[in-house]
Amino acid sequence: MNSFKAKKKILDIITHLILIAVAITCVFPVFWMLSSSLKTNEEIFKSITLFPEAWQWSNYTEALLKAKFGMYFLNSLIYTIVGVSAIVIVTSMAAYAFARLEFWGKTILFYLLISTLLIPIPGAFVPLYLLLKSLHLLDTRTGLLLCYVSGGIAFGLFLLKAFFEELPREIEEAALIDGCSRFGIYWRIALPLAKPAVATLVIIQCLTIWNEFLLALVVLQDPSKMPIQRGLMVFQGTHMTDYPLLMAGLTIATVPIVIIYLLMQKHIVKGIAAGAVKG
Amino acid sequence: MSKRSFIVALQTFCLFLAIFMVSGCSNTGSNDEDTVKIWHWMTDRQEAFEKLAKDYFDQTGVKVVFETYAPTDVYKNKITAAASGHLLPDIYNPQSDKKELASYINAGYIADLTDEMNTGWKDVFFEKSLIANSFEENNEWGVKPGIYGVPLDVSSLMIYYNKDLFVQAGLDPENPPKTWPEFIEAGKKLRDAGIQPFVSGFGEAWLIGAFASSYQWSLFGKQGIIDTIDGKIPYNDPRWLEIFKLFEEMRNNKMFASGIVTMVNKDAERTFATGRAAMTFNGSWGVNVYKTMNPNLNYGIMYPPSLPDAKYPLLVFGGDGSSMFVNAESPRKDKAIAFLKWFTQKEQQAYLAKETLNIPSNKDSAEELPEILQEFSNSITRTFENLPKLEAWQVTNYINLNLQSVIIGEKDPARAVREVQEEKIRQMKVQK
Amino acid sequence: MMNASPKEKSFNMLFILPALLLFLVFNLYPLLRTIQLSFFQWNGIDKDMLFVGFAQYKHIIFNNPAYWKSMLNAAYITVLCLTLQNGLALLLAILVNRQIKGENIYRVIFFLPPVLSGIVVGLIWKFMYDGNFGILNSWLASIGFEQFKDFAWLSEIKTALSSVAVVHMWKGFGYGFIILLAGLQTIPNELYEAAEVDGADKWQQFRHITVPSMIPVFTMVTVLTVLGAMQIFDLIYSMTQGGPAGHTDVPITMIYKYMNNGEFGYSTAMAVIFGLVLLIASICQLYASKKFNK
Repeated sequence: MNSFKAKKKILDIITHLILIAVAITCVFPVFWMLSSSLKTNEEIFKSITLFPEAWQWSNYTEALLKAKFGMYFLNSLIYTIVGVSAIVIVTSMAAYAFARLEFWGKTILFYLLISTLLIPIPGAFVPLYLLLKSLHLLDTRTGLLLCYVSGGIAFGLFLLKAFFEELPREIEEAALIDGCSRFGIYWRIALPLAKPAVATLVIIQCLTIWNEFLLALVVLQDPSKMPIQRGLMVFQGTHMTDYPLLMAGLTIATVPIVIIYLLMQKHIVKGIAAGAVKG
Repeated sequence: MSKRSFIVALQTFCLFLAIFMVSGCSNTGSNDEDTVKIWHWMTDRQEAFEKLAKDYFDQTGVKVVFETYAPTDVYKNKITAAASGHLLPDIYNPQSDKKELASYINAGYIADLTDEMNTGWKDVFFEKSLIANSFEENNEWGVKPGIYGVPLDVSSLMIYYNKDLFVQAGLDPENPPKTWPEFIEAGKKLRDAGIQPFVSGFGEAWLIGAFASSYQWSLFGKQGIIDTIDGKIPYNDPRWLEIFKLFEEMRNNKMFASGIVTMVNKDAERTFATGRAAMTFNGSWGVNVYKTMNPNLNYGIMYPPSLPDAKYPLLVFGGDGSSMFVNAESPRKDKAIAFLKWFTQKEQQAYLAKETLNIPSNKDSAEELPEILQEFSNSITRTFENLPKLEAWQVTNYINLNLQSVIIGEKDPARAVREVQEEKIRQMKVQK
Repeated sequence: MMNASPKEKSFNMLFILPALLLFLVFNLYPLLRTIQLSFFQWNGIDKDMLFVGFAQYKHIIFNNPAYWKSMLNAAYITVLCLTLQNGLALLLAILVNRQIKGENIYRVIFFLPPVLSGIVVGLIWKFMYDGNFGILNSWLASIGFEQFKDFAWLSEIKTALSSVAVVHMWKGFGYGFIILLAGLQTIPNELYEAAEVDGADKWQQFRHITVPSMIPVFTMVTVLTVLGAMQIFDLIYSMTQGGPAGHTDVPITMIYKYMNNGEFGYSTAMAVIFGLVLLIASICQLYASKKFNK
């Protein structure tokens, strides 16, 4: 028994060493971003130091004021929450159907729907722009959101279908016998069971929408509807980049997404299946 | 979070979604019909622009709004989309070469300002600053001859050199190299003193192209360049070989800073501003950039060194710095033009020059500039001349890529010019 | 659940209806427009477009070696990602799933690179790779590799593409990590418990429970890795712009350059060809995984 414990300990130490080594490379850029955000512009250009000479906390207030973050922040929050919720609902429903239900043209429809993952078109914003214009959705939040949601379908479908397929069928079959409707099974059983996958989808889609700006800039005309990435532009001049302010701005813009990740990653935990059986 | 609360959260999202979709639709923009709207990309000038817009409002009661979209390629994407939807602002810049500018004009997106300019407006500008915005008789693109854009400032590209580093390497800081052999000699001395001789944003294709173009003008002259575009002079002409060899010579003498071929200009500017390279090829905007990065930088400027055997004068890349165009479809066209007229008058231009350290396009306000900018503004008369046609973009791009290849030692100049010529032949076939 | 009645089949369609509608309007329509554009010579602005049929396709296929070179560059990055990046992601996911101390902290940290904006990542890696004052070179010098002084990793033909690939892998492994972790976590504990009762050791558990349950997730991660790596853009644009002399150009940077230089129609033709290549690659992958699954 003792040798088993010792073996486990050694294994744990090796595990930690590997994990720590990778972790350091991941933390370093964040550290660099924070440290740069507290330097002066001159300092950034002159010397490469890990810590700022004098901590310029005023960079943060200046960045907040200059980038008009307040308004953009709220917009981004709305786009992200609404867009991601819609993606989760629309794609989980479809993914469940593709994984479990029968209907006409199932295979063809699936490949058709995920085909948008394949054709990346830097110029696609022009047809999209004209489409929104003809739908009278140009310069509206709805129009932008519809683009975001449809942009997330292929990925969400692809991700969730694989997870739904792996869920044990027995629970669902039992519920069916108990008289649950198809929708009821999806909503009450399958979706909660797929929580780790849904949480993953939420994290990844939040990241996509929160960081998106090209489409937003093209589709929206009214600055009061623009997302947070618009604010960061102020610091990137044609000839000059104000690095400390840009880094301060990036830090501010990164915090919410890290919080979302912290909140969601808790749901990627074991024991869901057991919980569902009991609950 | 239990299963139940997870579902509750999802349902709340649904509700939120529904409400939002409904409210989102009714939310249409409330734009003031009398406001002149300007889209630009010059983030660093936004404050000065806003101040002038306020002055204008106080004087005339006309409201002008400046909106920034940066970086430039994002701005360009926005303009392209807005054009196809006929939703361009009153004043903008398509950020394009002359060929594309012609498309904007021919499609009716840009107003012809010739009549306005001829009432004395054009006399306030540096002559060269109007070149990029005007079209000559019989131009290749079928645009009606005239003036279409309003220059806000002028710029040119020269070589900056660091006087302190020159002294360190035993070079005369008041007497920079004038000819190519002197330039190479100076490079050797700098390298021997442990200093990187030359840096520039050669990762940006246009900048390496601009440097090469100076020598193209100097070896071929205007007619020679036109003949090259027409395919009458091939790219494997000995003169082109000579241009490519200039880059090879710089490489052989270790004149290039480390990593120059993937460097964007911002990084090159930082390298020069921090004294890590002694010379740099950069535009007049650099004066403001270097001041911000390192106010104590002690530097001078010089023309690209001339070639002893050149038949024609060496010209430099430059002319209008940034220009503005009026949307021909705008109902506020007259107001937009009136504002730009006011905007380019001496007083406003002097204010802009002072605040943003650019060379004003209004030549009367250029008199009170700091010394270095004065030198730059003198060089405006030596910028490239107007050409009635342009080389196909693909060929220009190929030249720039092959110049990079020569710098990294992948190809020798002879092979590089041969391959450029092959691409030229391919493109000529396509054009037919 | 088999053999649904026609009525049921129609009802089941309702599940995919919202996704299908959004797809038809916002994905398929722009896609068709794009394909249509690829048959025209157009700069995005002109009132009239010139119909050229397949001429642009022909030119890309036969007269644009740089484009195919860029495709190879992307394939090189993809191969590196499939092996190194996914190997690392799987290793980390398994290690973190062992329920060791500090599991949560690692989980948070490993996802930092994907969270960071491309701007920060591009900036910092450029700064680390810098020939003169980059951290990498001074570190290499300190352990005895003096010859790397002044070595510009991103500007040398031999190292540029690999250096860019390293950054992409570093930024991307976190995605694979969380998807694989979610997959591992979805495997019901009962399966392992039952296996333990039957006397299976850890390796047998891994082979007979983990791997089979994870095959769909592996397939998905593989497909996503391929699509992500083939469509790499931001990092390259911010670090090398495709240089030196096109050695780090990838299809999207090429398409983007053509589009921004007034070759709208031509660039859409490039995009369509690229899409077809990706489509074929994905079908092969899915087909292979189906075979493997059986």
